[in-house]
Amino acid sequence: MAEAGFEPRIVAFLCRWCAGAGADLAGTSRLQYPPNAIPIRVNCSGRVEPSWVVDALRSGADGVLIGGCHPGDCHYMVGNYKARRRVYLLRKVLEELGVEPERVRLEWVSATEGARFARVMTEFVEELRRLGPLQGNGQG
Amino acid sequence: MTEKLEGMSPRSQENSPRTSDLSPVTHHPSLKLAVYWTGSCGGCDVSFLELGAALLDVLSKVEIVFWPALVDAKRADVEALPAGAIDVALINGTLRTEENREMAELLREKSKLIVAYGACAHLGGIPGLANLSQREEILAAVFGDGFRPTPPPGGSPEDAPPELLAAALPLSAAVRVDYVVPGCPPPPGLISRTFDALLGELPPTGHVFASEKALCEECPRTKEDRRLTKVVRPHELLPDPEKCLLDQGMICLGPVTRGGCDAACPKAGMPCTGCLGPTPNAGDQGLAMLSALASLVRAGEEGEAAFASEDKVLDAIVDPVGTFHKYALPATWKVPSSLRGGGSGRGGRP
Amino acid sequence: MFVCHCGKNIAGTVDVARVSEALARHPGVVYATHHEYMCSEPGQELLRRAIREHRLTGAVVAACSPSMHETTFRRAAASAGLNPYLVEIANIREQCSWVHEGPAATDKAIRVARTMVEKVKGNHPLTPVEVGHAEKCLVVGGGIAGIQAALDVADAGFEVLLVEKSPTIGGRMAQLSETFPTLDCSQCILTPKMVEAAHHPRIRLLTYSEVEEVSGFIGNYHVRIRKKPTYVNPDRCNLCGECAKVCPIRVPSEFDCGLSERAAIYIPFPQAVPSSYTLDEGSCLGLVPLRCGECAKVCEPRAIDFDMHEELLEEDVGAIILATGYELYPKEAMAEYGHGTVPDVIDGLQFERILSASGPTRGEVRRPSDGRVPKEVVFIQCSGSRDPELHKPYCSKICCMYTAKHALLFRHAVPDGKAYVFYIDIRAGGKGYEEFVNRAMEEEGILYLRGKVAKVFRDGDKVMVWGVDTLTGKRVEVAADLVVLAQAVVPTTGAPELARKLRAAVDAHGFLQEAHPKLRPLEALTGGIFLAGAAHAPKDIPEAVAQGSGAAAKAVAILSAPVLTHSPEVAEVDEALCSGCRICAPQCPYTAITVDEVAHVNEILCEGCGTCVAACPSGAMTMRNLSDVQVQSMIRAALSEVPEPAEVKGG
Ligand code: SF4
Ligand code: SF4
Ligand code: FES
Repeated sequence: MAEAGFEPRIVAFLCRWCAGAGADLAGTSRLQYPPNAIPIRVNCSGRVEPSWVVDALRSGADGVLIGGCHPGDCHYMVGNYKARRRVYLLRKVLEELGVEPERVRLEWVSATEGARFARVMTEFVEELRRLGPLQGNGQG
Repeated sequence: MTEKLEGMSPRSQENSPRTSDLSPVTHHPSLKLAVYWTGSCGGCDVSFLELGAALLDVLSKVEIVFWPALVDAKRADVEALPAGAIDVALINGTLRTEENREMAELLREKSKLIVAYGACAHLGGIPGLANLSQREEILAAVFGDGFRPTPPPGGSPEDAPPELLAAALPLSAAVRVDYVVPGCPPPPGLISRTFDALLGELPPTGHVFASEKALCEECPRTKEDRRLTKVVRPHELLPDPEKCLLDQGMICLGPVTRGGCDAACPKAGMPCTGCLGPTPNAGDQGLAMLSALASLVRAGEEGEAAFASEDKVLDAIVDPVGTFHKYALPATWKVPSSLRGGGSGRGGRP
Repeated sequence: MFVCHCGKNIAGTVDVARVSEALARHPGVVYATHHEYMCSEPGQELLRRAIREHRLTGAVVAACSPSMHETTFRRAAASAGLNPYLVEIANIREQCSWVHEGPAATDKAIRVARTMVEKVKGNHPLTPVEVGHAEKCLVVGGGIAGIQAALDVADAGFEVLLVEKSPTIGGRMAQLSETFPTLDCSQCILTPKMVEAAHHPRIRLLTYSEVEEVSGFIGNYHVRIRKKPTYVNPDRCNLCGECAKVCPIRVPSEFDCGLSERAAIYIPFPQAVPSSYTLDEGSCLGLVPLRCGECAKVCEPRAIDFDMHEELLEEDVGAIILATGYELYPKEAMAEYGHGTVPDVIDGLQFERILSASGPTRGEVRRPSDGRVPKEVVFIQCSGSRDPELHKPYCSKICCMYTAKHALLFRHAVPDGKAYVFYIDIRAGGKGYEEFVNRAMEEEGILYLRGKVAKVFRDGDKVMVWGVDTLTGKRVEVAADLVVLAQAVVPTTGAPELARKLRAAVDAHGFLQEAHPKLRPLEALTGGIFLAGAAHAPKDIPEAVAQGSGAAAKAVAILSAPVLTHSPEVAEVDEALCSGCRICAPQCPYTAITVDEVAHVNEILCEGCGTCVAACPSGAMTMRNLSDVQVQSMIRAALSEVPEPAEVKGG
């Protein structure tokens, strides 16, 4: 079903201190990137629940991005480590259920990495275009 | 989407199983009871025997209208009943065939109350793990390629075995369910609590006859060192009798599973596999446990240096879906083989 | 719903009229508009007026990043009677109009705004958490860092309890000879501060005392302190020293690092504060029943009181400063350097005592074994440091400097002596430090050899040192008279246990863990607990003093606040659902969670990260104003299709 001009839908859970601030910096630096992701701000990547990710996939998202601080930089010290382990295990479950694990991405983006944020977004959209729509997710 | 029962929240008044005082002294008009099995192992039917002597008491107060495992009555007999003629139908088993679904619908029509009895009817149960494969794959694996159900030699077309549904489903996917008695099979305490209610005062619709709190509350094991440095399978370890199994590396679903069984498995040194289903606010039982478990993993100091060893701990979980979604896969993941199950895999619902 | 144009910043890309029109039709939205500059006074007035006229129960401003104007709009809403926590910002500038183009930008802006509307619908009005607090400060450790912290807090007008486990304050600095790089006498600059602390009207000195138990939380700690009996009344003791003369006991002196002996009744050093003798019950022949009692017989002022008892003090304090200091990694752990069995192999602190005018040799450099003046002295840096295989992986930071000082002072004391320094690198980052080391290398005739010492052993009355000079590749052998090991700096024995009592984390080496390595270096992860000095990491004196003052400033910020306030957007437990499984508690970096039958979150300690919420398997732990249910509807609002415009309006 990988139709031409497919625009993947993405939900991006961004921690406010690093990834969210990095996204803001991409804005202040006017770095263009595809508009496919709708950001949802959380205090820390450690707040993101695996069920949210699945919920997003079931509600029409083709991919989910979780953006947190680099290891050692989490505003709450260790939230990103928990996020990492949760995503690692969740991706295994998704794979067993037949969902490409690449649809769920965890990325470290610091508040100074506006360019990195834009690049991550661009790459993720490209990857999802390659994977095509997540079928049976309510989109059709 | 998660098939959540409406109005699951009202809190159960009684949390302790009772078997002794089932009968109000006043004479009770007989309760017209049906017990039916769909895709079931039979364990649920046997589970009533666990009531022991109290079963006699129950039997003296009910009139069995339909119970294929006990009484010789046929589908036609049920069809002949007027709508609402049955007071309560306890249905166990997953919905796996067209016939299962038809029977569920028939009983719904004829019964005032429908009770999903046991993990399969409640959540889809262990047979629900078949949803990891497409229906065609299952049929091909069992009967060989190109299999189509046909009547036995010389039989009429309606003697053909029923079609397999596209997916195993919990009872609530086909009919409105009034109450749930969870468990694989339901533990005796909960069965007697259910009959108490059916023969006495009914709880609000949607009630699940189990605790609102997770099993840990009733588990006597001490919870101390909340970190998981290794994952072991039950056969690999003779657990310390006092300590929480999770702390010893066994994946125990107690924290995410309703109490009500008096922690029978953990008391016997076996981790909870989650048969009583998720607590009211847990959402997806498997994902909630996954999140908790991943949070607990530790391989030394948390940090980048530990990533590889943390992953190794998590890699020791053989079959994550079977571990985390042992009973609830159909209830939480509607389509077979995941979200992607477009086409033929797209759920069994009309 | 208020959509901001931000001049052309948003409106240049996003069709703001379309956003406002689409949101007007979103379920729950009763009012939607757009404005040139929402943050301007007229923009804020628009918000206030709409709140009053439409009795809004929530508002979303679609504008710039919440980090810019969240406070502005929340304040404006509050002044119109709307709880500020019911106002949210949808970021359609930094994360939308500035980075996207065309109709897709408008589509995204609508989705972003919708998610925030869904969030606001689930928000509850909240009020900031407030708690009172005690106005006293506890400082643990009476070294230079602790003294400085205590003085600063007391000078700011607050009561201080300064707890020190030995009989005197002063700490390591009191043991030092002269300090680098200026070579001023350590005791001379320290003792005035000790006296100042002792006489400060708001400092209560509790020497010979230990913190036994701590409970509570920021602003409201309850501490139990055990003060051991010294059996000498400090007000009466006139330091005549007669008692020590008659005492039959001799044990190694702690203050002189075992290089001299003291009696069972003793004063660590003449300028000790409080200035009094102390009877060390552990080495005394016996008090109950009294087996000797000679000291009391000769004490003229009758200062000695065998009936003195230990005291237990209970105090409420608002803040705690941990300055528990350091000790040296034991020589006994150094198999390669003789296991501590060679008498003329000593550690850096012992050499300080030898150099000190108040030391066992009165400042003359004599070696421990036979009291001879050593002519050939080898100094080994990084002994036990920077050695991840066998010892400590970290750099002890102060050794390069003090070794240079040692070698230099030795050369001054023994002009015909020869000093060798084995080093891996020289780290002299500090004001005047590099110059000081250069002086030692170039002007003082000290031989610096780059390389590791493989073996140190006794050979007759010499100590053989076998090493390699890695610059020349040659083996080096020195028949030394004395070897000084710059032993690694480690936390004081017992300090990690104390930290544990306070629920303040320690790192893998037992040093206190700061709340954030860059941004919160003075704070422990547990609120209201601050760090000072070498208990946190190896540090030199100026750094320890600076950190002491810094920690004091942090503590004063708590003590001087009328009440402690805290964001109410924190985690919360539904006790009816909590099973007491305890999975949440270890997730919390701030130890905000305690669990008995059910879990409890301390609202003051919780920073709202939400890690525990995501970990709670039964959904009993929730996050105020960011519940799972809210996020679920936000997800749906982000993903559901944007309906076609109802009618085309001008934009
Ligand atoms: S939200 Fe974070 S800071 Fe608050 S109690 Fe939970 S883990 Fe601790
Ligand atoms: S993790 Fe959840 S259920 Fe377990 S103790 Fe904490 S709040 Fe209670
Ligand atoms: S605050 Fe950014 S990941 Fe924790």
